[in-house]
Amino acid sequence: MNREQFIRELERLLKDLPAGEREAAIQYYNDYFDDAGAENEAQVIRELGSPAQVAGTIRDGMSENGEYTERGYENTRFSDPQEISAGNRTAPAEAPHPRRGADPWKLLAILLLCLLLFPIVVPLFVTLLVIAGAVLLGIAGVMIGVAVAAVALPIAGIILMGLAVYNLFLRPGVGIALGGMGCLLLSAGILIFLMAVWIMKILIPFLLRSIVSILRYPLRKAGVVK
Amino acid sequence: MVFNTGAALLDAIVLAVVSMDAEGTYGYKITQDVRQVIEISESTLYPVLRRLLRDGCLEVYDMEYGGRNRRYYKITEAGRAQLNLYISEWQIYAAKITRIFTGRGKDE
Repeated sequence: MNREQFIRELERLLKDLPAGEREAAIQYYNDYFDDAGAENEAQVIRELGSPAQVAGTIRDGMSENGEYTERGYENTRFSDPQEISAGNRTAPAEAPHPRRGADPWKLLAILLLCLLLFPIVVPLFVTLLVIAGAVLLGIAGVMIGVAVAAVALPIAGIILMGLAVYNLFLRPGVGIALGGMGCLLLSAGILIFLMAVWIMKILIPFLLRSIVSILRYPLRKAGVVK
Repeated sequence: MVFNTGAALLDAIVLAVVSMDAEGTYGYKITQDVRQVIEISESTLYPVLRRLLRDGCLEVYDMEYGGRNRRYYKITEAGRAQLNLYISEWQIYAAKITRIFTGRGKDE
């Protein structure tokens, strides 16, 4: 096949294209042969391949789907996704698994499981919630009691000591006894107050931290929170 | 070559080659110049040029040469802007790859 035959064949293959497109392509390849020079004609024809191949690239270039790379036309919708292997393209390793979306049967199974477990899970959850609430209330009650004791005991102690001073002159025995009780109450109150402060400082942050971590546990398992 | 040239890189190379001639250049010369840097079949370039023309990155004009009309391709303002975008993207990309290859870690 020489140049004239090549161009004529190409023209024939592009007959159904818009005249402008066809003429532009023919002009390009005529230019190409002219600029390559008559001595390179055979080589150019060899490298271009058949007129049908050239017509194919022109046609493909007019559709928007594919793109041209150094290997020529490539329609990414039809080529295998293993784009990384260059040069010697390896055969696509088995059919790629469609990763998007889970197996519908698996989804259905999970849904059924949820429905079946519903009457068990809900009361269990409510019970756990109630127990947790009761424990928290209990802790709160103890803490309120401690706080009240921490305030009331020193006050009672001081009042008793006041009474002791008053009684010391009238009934020395009763006064000494009251004074001793007042001292005891005051010291017990101070002790409880210090303990309450210690509990507030150490125990409450610890409790809050554990509650938060318990609440976070299901989220962490679900991979929402790291 | 081991690494394949995607459509965007091929566009960028063609735009760069065409932009080197202020007066414009012609198909055969573009093909030869592109082939200096990447392996490309002779029939690949026409659709690329056609696409760049359609996108307004290139313009054509015919000029007489040796007793015939030769079609010249010239870069447009839009094409130059596109080329600049490609070049800056390439520099970022190449720097990242080089950093990985030379094992200097991520120091940015």
